[in-house]
This record gives sequence, structure tokens and C-alpha cells, in this order.
Amino acid sequence: MLMMPEIIVILTAFGVLVLDLFLTERSRWILAPLALIGLAGAFAALYMTPLHEQMLGGRFVMDPVAWWFKVVFLLSGAITILISMDLLNGKTGVRIRGIGFRGEYFTVLLFTITGMMYLISARDLITLYVSLELATIPLFVLTAWRRDDARSGEAGLKYVILGALASAFILYGMGLIYGLTGSLNLDTIGHALTPGRNAVFWLAIAALFAGVGFKLTIVPFHLWAADVYQGAPTPVTAYLSVASKGAGLAFMFQIFFRMLGPWIPDGALLIALFAASTMTLGNTVAIVQHNIKRFMAFSAISQAGYFLMGFLGPSSAGVPAMLFYMLVYVVSNMGVFTAIVWFANETGREQIEDYRGLCRTNPLMALAMMVALFSLAGIPPLSGFVGKFFLFSIASQAGFHWLVAVAAVNSTISLYYYLRVVRQMYIEPGGEDARALPVSRKLALTQAVLLLGVVFLGLVPGIYESIHADTASWLAALIR
Amino acid sequence: MGLVSWLIAVPFLTMLVVVFIPERQWKLIRWVSATGTSIHLVLTGKLVVNYWQAAMPEAESMKHALFTKLYFVERVPWFESLGIQYYVGVDGISVAMVILTSIIIFTGVLASWYVEIRVKEFFALLLLLVTGVFGVFLSFDLFLFFMFYELAVLPMYLLIGIWGTGPKEYSAMKLTLMLLVGSAFVLVGFLALYHASGMHTFDLIRLSEAKYSHEFQRWVFPMVFVGFGVIGALYPLHTWSPDGHSSAPTAVSMLHAGVLMKLGGYGALRIAVYLLPEGAKMWGVVFMCLTTVNILYGSFGAVMQKDLKYFTAYSSVSHCGFVLFGVATLNLIGFKGAVIQMFSHGIMTGLFFGLIGMVYGRSHTRIIPEMGGLGKVMPWLATCFYIGGLASLGLPGLSGFVAETHVFLGGFFGNPWTSSVLTKVLTIIATMSIVVTAVYVLRGLALVFQGPITNPHYEELTDATLPEKISTGVLVATLIVVGLLPFFFIDLIESSVMPIFNRLNM
Repeated sequence: MLMMPEIIVILTAFGVLVLDLFLTERSRWILAPLALIGLAGAFAALYMTPLHEQMLGGRFVMDPVAWWFKVVFLLSGAITILISMDLLNGKTGVRIRGIGFRGEYFTVLLFTITGMMYLISARDLITLYVSLELATIPLFVLTAWRRDDARSGEAGLKYVILGALASAFILYGMGLIYGLTGSLNLDTIGHALTPGRNAVFWLAIAALFAGVGFKLTIVPFHLWAADVYQGAPTPVTAYLSVASKGAGLAFMFQIFFRMLGPWIPDGALLIALFAASTMTLGNTVAIVQHNIKRFMAFSAISQAGYFLMGFLGPSSAGVPAMLFYMLVYVVSNMGVFTAIVWFANETGREQIEDYRGLCRTNPLMALAMMVALFSLAGIPPLSGFVGKFFLFSIASQAGFHWLVAVAAVNSTISLYYYLRVVRQMYIEPGGEDARALPVSRKLALTQAVLLLGVVFLGLVPGIYESIHADTASWLAALIR
Repeated sequence: MGLVSWLIAVPFLTMLVVVFIPERQWKLIRWVSATGTSIHLVLTGKLVVNYWQAAMPEAESMKHALFTKLYFVERVPWFESLGIQYYVGVDGISVAMVILTSIIIFTGVLASWYVEIRVKEFFALLLLLVTGVFGVFLSFDLFLFFMFYELAVLPMYLLIGIWGTGPKEYSAMKLTLMLLVGSAFVLVGFLALYHASGMHTFDLIRLSEAKYSHEFQRWVFPMVFVGFGVIGALYPLHTWSPDGHSSAPTAVSMLHAGVLMKLGGYGALRIAVYLLPEGAKMWGVVFMCLTTVNILYGSFGAVMQKDLKYFTAYSSVSHCGFVLFGVATLNLIGFKGAVIQMFSHGIMTGLFFGLIGMVYGRSHTRIIPEMGGLGKVMPWLATCFYIGGLASLGLPGLSGFVAETHVFLGGFFGNPWTSSVLTKVLTIIATMSIVVTAVYVLRGLALVFQGPITNPHYEELTDATLPEKISTGVLVATLIVVGLLPFFFIDLIESSVMPIFNRLNM
């Protein structure tokens, strides 16, 4: 059945929730492996799902783009569970209070994954909106997970209020679109919609863009990111930084390509300006951060700017490049966050200065973190470079040479602040009392797999070529 | 896997071996590195012989060629949907650069024989860096070229930051960022070249068949040239060079000044001028002016320095100015001079930085006024220093003379697209720098090595050890061989410079 992967994830979520009631505290560790098995099952089901089919009267569609997005969501969900396990099971070097309730945690996490999976398959406005909320509301809950930490609560509250505002904008935009076209189906809307000199049209687009800009942290809709990233429990921050961004991109695919497909080139200059300001602001503000999670928040904002470049060119080049970069970004960013989560578990610290001498206390984690940071900065031969190169190529093809220059210079700026971390780890001498920091087997294994991804996604052409082959002709039918 | 791929793979494989040797076996690590680089030297010798046999019979036919002819080409499709391929090969210029790099890394490893902290990481990074350098000189796909180019720049940050001296973190950051901003402009240029050609390929030779409009060349040429100019120390973007070189550890200064700065001249000639001849004609005179400033500024800067490394770094800025000056003359002799200067300066400056490292390791100072009479206790090092110094000021019989003569003749003959009075004046001004060079080289060497021994502690210093003697001996021998038998070298590169020049007259 077409919806099998989603159904498996939902069933796993309920299974975990119910099982949690019957387990003693000592045996609750089993919940995480169970959730992982559920995700693996969903992935297997996804692998067998036929492409180019629809159900529910065309409201739910499987196409190659949806397929790849679901891979991204399942992957980031699985990694999040892996890096959450030590923290939730209390197997940390220092005592971290206020985090627990494993059953609920995994259930809520699985719900947001489901929401995201529906989001990219939805083909009408109602389903799209409901799945967006399903993806977002659990994230508010996860952000405020550390009950007795005021910062976590504050982050949750900020996220709820601003998130609700963004949802309101999206709903308003959708309402206007429905009023303009009289249809809920995205493809029908795409064929019926013509901009002309219609103020309502532009208002609708602006409202939708503001809402999606919030999810994707596009400047000036990025203001929530730093506080929320800092306050949330670290594994949740990791999940937010990749999956929430993935959902934002998926939503953007839906409204841009499905509804506005032929009109994107008209707005190219605007997109380019948003891209340039997003990456520049993210990168320059990241320079002065001291908290590693805030630092990664601004790094993530700047990455959103690179993603936007993919919308400038023809979809045959842009879609594969954005999907590929999404995959690369998940692997690289999660590589960094695995190290951050591990470090916070072992020492309870999250300032950049605390990382000094890490190459002595745990050389392999330090190496992994450095490689992942370099990948984010776009240093060859790592996959981040290849992914960025493809995105830059699209901007160049569309004639936005100035944007390529801005983006390339921005990569250099980003290297500057990533090197600040590398400098702490490798160049600054460690403290006198430095002791070797142990790493648990599952974190080491997760990190190793991510590291292989960071290195080989860019060197082995297979993944990109298959994304390209699958999705290059995705929108051909829509372009008039 | 052919010979050319092996030339890239050997340093990389050596690095992998080094990574898997435990840190406490540090003696083994340096032996492995030395073995790897020796193997590379042997392979380079084989490449030269093979190239000579393959290319020399065809040299005559290249007189009017418009496209670079590559030998020992290997290509494997990579990202096929974008026309990216693994595409390596050699022509005469690459061969010359590979010889240079191979010699410098071999001597560099020997010069780092006494590195004691974090030995494993040091050699691993050094070998990674040099892998990137070989990749740049051997690849003919712009994507691959760019990949190797950045790979060659980044390890520098850690190498300077960890093992450097003085304000090392500042220098490392400045160098890395300036070079990467340069490469950002190169990237913009590459992507523009790719899309404007409409050929859907990054293949350098095929791209040279594309017809780029004048308008396009007018803005892309300076973009690419300046981008490469940053690493070639083009005035006023050279400021990373003195700081970076003086903070870097010995072998890294050798590699950086000796080889990495040549990537700039190489890229400018091979890509900017070759692909965009019209742009070169429009902008040649501007860059000729800038590089004249380079040459003079560097040599006057060197006169004022008290620190031996700053002294050499400024002299490098001046000498790298000759390379870009030769490229900007848009003249066959000038082009040849630029390539010979790249080689000659690479060896020369490698020798200088190697010797400075060895002297510093003994006297623990690099400040010129604090030294004196060192020639009495370390005659071998002093002699090598003198030979290098004489090559640097262009004494006939050493390689510097051959290179500078070519560059200045090229400038003096000028090109049809620039007023000949202007090029002659610029060349004459640039030639003045030789006098300044003589002043600072002779004065500096006299202060360091001649006269009475100023510090009683210096009496106990020793002369070069065996690894150091091999290291410096190889470099000195190369300077003399190229100086006395320049025609072999000129033959090697001439047929490969021809197409670049011919395209200007198309």
C-alpha cells in the first residue's frame, strides 16, 4: 500500500506509548531500539513502495521527490533517536536532570516524522496544512522537554507563539489562494493561478512565503532560531536543525513548484536577495557566538540561504541539487551534533571555549567534528563542497553571478567561524586536569557512519546521479 | 591506473599509511614519509623520460597549435549529469611543476626530520597538502582542479596554527581566509565559463574551443586572474604571504613559498590566459603595472626586514611578481620566463626557507642583527645560503638568471596590444629591482655569516647533519643544473607554452 511507511511509523508511535505503561523504569531502555526498528520497517516499506501512484482521490501521491524527502526524514529521525539514547537513559558522564519520559519522547518524535512524511506527499491545501501542523506541534513539545530548565521552557514558549503566527500566515495565504482559484488541489491551483496585476495574489504569496520562511529560517523570519536552538535539549536541537529545515524545504517545493511553477523565474531576483541576506546574516552573526548551540543555529540559518539558490534555475537542475544538498546537510550537520551531544553528555558544557584540547581528550570525536564542520563550510573533497558546487552552478546558470560571488565569499566567512571551533580543539592546549573522555559504542558507531557519509557522498557519484535520474524530469509535466 | 594517477596517489597512500602508524613510532613515521616521497621522486623521473620520448618528436608540430596537447591522459566519468570527469594528464608545464613539487616535498620531509611534537599529524597533513598540489598540476577538468586547489590550501591552517612560531594563529587565519576568498572568485569564474560555453563540460581543453564574447571575457578574466593572483601574491593582495611564511614551520614555508604560490601563476597562465585570450589583451597592461609594483615593493620591503623569514618572504613577493609579470607581458618569451621563474623561484625559496629553519634550529634566533659569523661554525649551510642568494639576484650560471632574462626580454619586446613605450618603461622599472635584490641579499648574508662570531654561544653550534645535507644538496644541485643547461628545460616547456601564446593571435 502506498501509505505503508507512514502507517508503520504511526503504529510504532502508539506501540511505544502503550508499551511504556507496562514497563518498569529499568526496562524502559527497550523503547528506543523499538522506535528504531519501527523506522527501519518504515524504510523497508518505503523502499518497496511503487512510485508515481496516488490514493485518496489524488490527495496523497508518491513521486520520486516525495520518496527522497521521506528518506531524509526517516534518516534524520533515526539519527536523532540514536543520539538521544544515552541522554534519556541517564548514561551520561555528568548528571543531567529534568530529562526523562522516554515513552512520550519517542512517541512525540515519531509523530513529527509522520507529519513531515505526509507533508511532501500531500496534494491539497487541507492535507498540506494538517500535516504541517502535525510536523510542527510535536516540535514545540520536544523543545520544552526539560521541565525544570527555565531556558527550555522559554524556548518552547517562544517557539509556540512564533510558530503559531507563522501557521496563521500560512492559513491566511491558503485561504486567499482558495478564494482566487476555487480549488484545493495543488495541481489545479497551479494551472489556474496567474499573477497579473492582482494584489490578492501577491498578498497570498507573501503570506505563504513568510510562513515557510519561518520554518526554513530565512532572514527576516529567522529570529526564533537562536533561542530555540539554545534552549531545546541538544538532540532535539539536532533534529530541529535538519528535519525542521527539511520540512520547510518540502513545503516550499509544494507551494513553489506545484502552485507557482511557471512563475518562479519572475520572482528570481527576490529569491536571490533573500538567499544573499540569509546567508550573510547567518554567517556574520555566527562569528560572535560563544554557545555552540547558538553558533550552530546561525550556521543553520546561513545554510538555508544556500538552499534558496536552488530555486533560481530550472527545476530539472534545481530539484536534484537541493535534494542532494539536503542529504549532505543532514549527514554533515548531524555529524557535528553527534559530537556536541556527546560532549554535553560527558561534561555538561556547551561553550565553544570548553572544547579546547579535545583532540587530546578524544581524538576521534575531534576529527569527526572537524571533518563535519569542514563539510558544512564546503571544503573539498567532502560532500558539502560538492553539494554547494551544484547549488552555486544553478545560480550561475541563471545569470546570478553576483550571488555566486556572495555565496562563495560567505563560505569563506563560515570557514572562519568553523575554524574557531577547530582551533579550540586542535591548537589551544587542553587544561591541566584534562582526562580522556569515553564515548559509548552506539555514539561512536553513529558518528562513524555519518563520517563515511560526509566523505563518500561527494566522492561516489552514485547517490547524486540516482537523485538526478529520478527527479530531473519531475516537474516537466507542470511547466507550460 | 596510469603513471599520472599514481603521481597523485602516492602521497595520498603514504598519508594513509602514516595515519595508521601509532604516534609512539614517530621514527617510523618519518621514514615512511621519506620513502613515500622518494618513490614519488623516482616516478617523476620516469614521467620526465616518458614525456620526453613522447612529446619531443612532436614538438615541431606544436609551433602553430591552438590547443594544448596532453599526454598520458586518463579520464573517468564522475558526475555525468553535469559533465564532470576525473581527467588527468600532463603537458610540458605540468611536468616542470611536478618536478618542482616532487623535489620540494622530498627535501621538505628531510628538512622536517627533527619535528618532535605531534609528528604523525604533521607528516599526514604535509602529505595531504602535497596531494592537493599534485592534483592541481595534473588535472584538466575545472571541477577536479578546483577541488584539489582548495585541498592544497586548507591543511595549511593547521600546519601553521599548530607547529608555527610567533603570532601563528593570526597568520594561519589570515592566510587561509585570503586564499579562500581568492578561490571564491576563481569559482565564480569557473561556473561562468562552464555555463557560458554551453558545452556542458568542465574539460579545460574542450572549453578552449568555446567562443566567449568580448563582453564576457572583459569581466571574467580579471575575476579569475585576481583570484589566482591572491595565491600568487599579486599586489595589493600579497599581505598574507609575509605573515604566513614567517609563522610557518620550515617544511611548510618551503612548500608554501616554493610550490603553493606557483599555483597562482600556473592557474593564471593555464586557465585565465588560455581560455580568455581577449580578456588577457584587455587587462594585460593593468596587471603588468600591478606586478611591477609587486616586484619593486617586495624588494624594497626585504631591505627593511630584520627577521630572516620576513626577509625571504618579501623577496618571495618580489620574485613571484616576476612570474605574474611574465604572464602579463603576453609575449612568448615572457610566458616561458614565467614558467622557468616558477620553477627556479620554487627551488630557490625552498632552499632559503629550509636553510633558515636549520639555522634557527641551532641559533634559536632569526633576527639578523643578533647573528654574525655563523659561516665559521656552519660552513655547509653558509655555502648553500650563498648559492641560493646568488641565484636570487640573478647571477649567470644559476637558474635565476635564465628566468629573469626571459621575463625581462618578454617585457621589453612587449605585445601588439599595449603601447610598446609603456611596456618598455615598466620593464626598465622592474629591472631596477635586481640592484635592490643584490643589496639586500649580499648585505643580509654578510651580516649573518661573515665577520666575527658575535655570541660566544654560537661557537658550539654544529654544521648540517646528513638528512639536512641531502636536502640542501639536492636543491643547490637543481639550481646549478637548470642554470648551466637551461635549454633542456626550455625545450621541455616550449611546445606547451606555444598554444597559449598562439591563441592570443587567433
